[in-house]
Amino acid sequence: MQSSERYDVVVIGGGHAGCEAAMAAARLGLRTALFSLNLDLIAQMSCNPAIGGIAKGHIVREVDALGGVMGLVTDATGIQFRLLNSSRGPAVWSPRAQADKKLYRQHMRQVLEGEPNLRIRQAEVVDLVVEPQPAAAGEAPRMVTGIKLRDGGVVSASAVVITTGTFLNGLIHVGETTYPAGRSGEPAAHLLGEALKLLGFACGRLKTGTPPRLDGRTIDWSRFEEQPGDSEPTPFSFQTRRITRPQISCHIAYTNDATHAAIRDNLGRSPLYSGQISGVGPRYCPSLEDKVVKFPEKERHQIFLEPEGLDTHEVYVNGMSTSMPVDVQAAVIASIPGLERAAMLRPGYAIEYDFVQPTELRPTLETKQIAGLFLAGQINGTSGYEEAACQGLMGGINAALRVKQEPPLVLSRTEAYTGILVDDLIARGADEPYRMFTSRAEFRLHLRIDNADSRLMPHGRRIGLVGAAVWQAYEAKQERLAVLERFLREHRPDPASAAGAALYAKAGTLADRPTAAQLLKRPEFTIADLRPWLDAQLPGLLAVQTELDPAGWEQKTVETRIKFEGYLAQQQRQMEQVRKAEGHAIPAHFDYAAIPGLSTEVRQKLQRVRPQTLGQAAHIPGVTSAAVTILHVQLELQRRQAAAGRVALLDAPSGSLAADGPAANVIAVPTHPRPGA
Amino acid sequence: MRSGPASAEDTIVAVATPLGRGGLGVVRLSGPQARTIADQVLRPVPWEARRVRRVLWCDPEDGAVLDDVLVTFFPAPHSYTAEDVVEISGHGAPVLLRALVADLCRAGARMAEPGEFTRRAFLNGRLDLTQAEAIRDLIDSQTLLQARTAAQQMHGGVARQVGPLQQALRELIARMEAGIDFADDDVAVPATAGLAAALHALVQRLDPLRTSFRHGRVLHQGLSLALVGRPNVGKSSLFNRLLASERAIVTATAGTTRDVLAETVSLDGVPIRLLDTAGIRESSEAIEREGIARAWQALGEADLVLGVFDASLPLAPEDHRLLEHLRAMPQAMLVLNKTDLPRQIEDGALPEALAVSAVSGEGVTELRTLVRQRALPELSAAGSWITNARQAACLDAASQHLEQGGGALAAGLPHEMVLLDLYAALRELDALSGQTTVDDILEVIFATFCVGK
Repeated sequence: MQSSERYDVVVIGGGHAGCEAAMAAARLGLRTALFSLNLDLIAQMSCNPAIGGIAKGHIVREVDALGGVMGLVTDATGIQFRLLNSSRGPAVWSPRAQADKKLYRQHMRQVLEGEPNLRIRQAEVVDLVVEPQPAAAGEAPRMVTGIKLRDGGVVSASAVVITTGTFLNGLIHVGETTYPAGRSGEPAAHLLGEALKLLGFACGRLKTGTPPRLDGRTIDWSRFEEQPGDSEPTPFSFQTRRITRPQISCHIAYTNDATHAAIRDNLGRSPLYSGQISGVGPRYCPSLEDKVVKFPEKERHQIFLEPEGLDTHEVYVNGMSTSMPVDVQAAVIASIPGLERAAMLRPGYAIEYDFVQPTELRPTLETKQIAGLFLAGQINGTSGYEEAACQGLMGGINAALRVKQEPPLVLSRTEAYTGILVDDLIARGADEPYRMFTSRAEFRLHLRIDNADSRLMPHGRRIGLVGAAVWQAYEAKQERLAVLERFLREHRPDPASAAGAALYAKAGTLADRPTAAQLLKRPEFTIADLRPWLDAQLPGLLAVQTELDPAGWEQKTVETRIKFEGYLAQQQRQMEQVRKAEGHAIPAHFDYAAIPGLSTEVRQKLQRVRPQTLGQAAHIPGVTSAAVTILHVQLELQRRQAAAGRVALLDAPSGSLAADGPAANVIAVPTHPRPGA
Repeated sequence: MRSGPASAEDTIVAVATPLGRGGLGVVRLSGPQARTIADQVLRPVPWEARRVRRVLWCDPEDGAVLDDVLVTFFPAPHSYTAEDVVEISGHGAPVLLRALVADLCRAGARMAEPGEFTRRAFLNGRLDLTQAEAIRDLIDSQTLLQARTAAQQMHGGVARQVGPLQQALRELIARMEAGIDFADDDVAVPATAGLAAALHALVQRLDPLRTSFRHGRVLHQGLSLALVGRPNVGKSSLFNRLLASERAIVTATAGTTRDVLAETVSLDGVPIRLLDTAGIRESSEAIEREGIARAWQALGEADLVLGVFDASLPLAPEDHRLLEHLRAMPQAMLVLNKTDLPRQIEDGALPEALAVSAVSGEGVTELRTLVRQRALPELSAAGSWITNARQAACLDAASQHLEQGGGALAAGLPHEMVLLDLYAALRELDALSGQTTVDDILEVIFATFCVGK
């Protein structure tokens, strides 16, 4: 086939996953192209005008630490910042920001256009160019070599990342009306959706929804409780020192009996309840009709009125996702005091779309079936801008590393929410849109927003996404943290000094002279109590910290390390065990049928998912710890047999996933590894 | 939930010799903490590789010496499992060995799973390939057995009892998780007082199950009853009455039962191991002194003790000494034998004793009932008793984690830290009643709270 253009990496889709994927590949030095159906809608926030939130804010910090762009763009375009869960412990503090939707799009477009290795192109991609490839252990039998455009053009590429969101066979529902669309007002990607099915990927159908938008000039704002932003906004990016843009307020409203009656009286016209929608929707983001039906005892449901931007009157009605007919939506809105006269700019709608079962993926987000093809974002059955962005970043990074023939980057469950998300998806598949929660993290205390940089920036630096200046700032910060922590552990406030006496007074009776760290461990003490003493003891360091980190995050990090060190150490020990299991590679063609002692159910699950490590196997639902033990024993037995030369084969090197990457060194695989067979 | 592969980093413990009759019993610890755990339970041990040391095992609460044991340390990798191994040999009484294992578990060891020592030996490369292949099949069958046992438990009385507790804990966890993950939604953050009360209620609901282990163990393994008393008070005749056979040598000459005789009798289906001891008196005869020493030992180790006194003679000084001992032992019961003979004992000397006659059989039925009742107060609930030490260890650990969680809550620690203790408790209950996954918790959250915007 004649190629009109050739790139190292092609990204299909310009949403939150696509932008990260394209930027990562381009910044890693590869000739990259991003194809979008509409260049004006790159980085569109299709649903709510906000980035972050509990667990999601953690993910944005991780994307930023690895060298992604979502955090920087949000900091630049955010109009209301709030740190959620701030009354809780440090592990579940999470930043959230309302962003100006238009500014966000424009800013992201500028970022993409500013990247010299990246081309952005408006065109519809209708198919992939896929060729057979010579058999190599650990490699798929087919490989992608390019994409086909609607106009017949072919673009060749060494790797392709698909980030098409809800566009694959998207179908919008508003009451009894349905029409194909990718998002409201945009065409669906029907041809590409069908092409992926023909290529043999297991696909499913999911559903999501969005609420109506109102004209802010027609809202009686005086009737609602105001929700201002934080006085000291918490930025997302390591590189942002301070948010200076003026903050706006949101408003809180509630539904009432009349609202619920309007819903109940019209349930027969709801596509969700009439059977018109077959896709599975998210339980954590129910439509208003679901809330009313499933929680009849609840007298009111909370609604947030969120401005979509600074220079628009459009208001997002958070909490009122619905696919009711337009006239019912109007009645529902009018039932709320203060919205009686509100004009609806756009109705809410539900959308059904195809997704590819993520069990089709390797931990690099490359498909198992087609080498060089990566999938990221909502196409993998997830939900949310942040979940999409972190996958786009990982997909883009791994596509680039593959082309560069470098080892892939796979994050562990113990080091990042991003690692948990990918591991959950590939081991379990998706049966509803997957959203991140902090409760999904086994080692939640370690996966904090304040240490995302120390968890992940070294990875970003190693692969080349984190620049020298940022890295230098990072190292200086780590040094300051170490100095402060050491000082607190080694020094004892002197009760004779003024600052020391204040500490003693607060502590009540003290038998001996405790170190500052020992004081900090007492429940009544925070790092803020130690500030006057520290200011006197470490004036230089404190002055630098105050300038670089006005909100005092560095001191909070040290406080967390000291105050909760018992819990942290306990989790650390468990993390070591998980890392070991994650490091135990299972050969790609491991013969589960030949293992005695596995139940048929467990064997089928393992054969379907084909986990790449013992750690992944342990996360497959229904795979018992007894089964994992049997697997462990069998793997070890095979390793020994191989070492003894009784079977002419090699297992993947322990502790490495590289065997499945381009530098594969698996020579052969046993078809029947039992002795004497 | 959240369980990875069985960890090799734990230090595991188990009784290594067959439980029961042996004169010696060996408890084996394996893992990185083997020495530090043993140090906590035994008086500081002067560790030296592969050298036998004699140390004292003392009661962790009052410091009383429980046993005089021999310990040997096999440093990694030169041990059976190729990990640090500590072997403790003590007297073989099951009650002592179980108590020792329990002490070691409290100090941080975990009860070994069946076959786990061998599995570790294999995974650590201690076995050659041929041995390994043979052992692989063994492990498979053991693991299968475990799986089958677990499956049986899931439908059994234990699961029926634990299931509701597990569900209550899941709901408590879900409430706390909802307060964290959906704090920005319209979900009320659960109040500390309410959570503390819920935690406390859970611990209390666990208690009867935990104490049922004692009963369950009795049903499963039986328990021991030692007969003690001055020579010739009729212990052996009583022993035979209870056995309804002529097992012990009975003569009218004092001191003919020179060793501890043991026989198992079934009282209403409860296996009771009777231990007939040599008569307790000062003796100059070497062989008899040995028998008397063993009698005292049997008395200390028995689950129940039956003090036998002679109604046809006044109380001797030895009787008074024995009485003093027995009255301090909660497991002791007293009988007044030989009621068929003219009564010589002081009036009101033993008001709590049951009157029996081994010769005529008078009072023996009452005695059997008394023993059975002391052994098992509530036979009727036997279907749901905990009979297995692993199950009991799980319940104890669950209870301990819940108490810790309560403490953390009271200390004002953030909920995500308190939750670590609750998840740890849930893992223990999961081992008895089926696995919880993160989806189960989310399920409860979504069913309970209207979350999402």
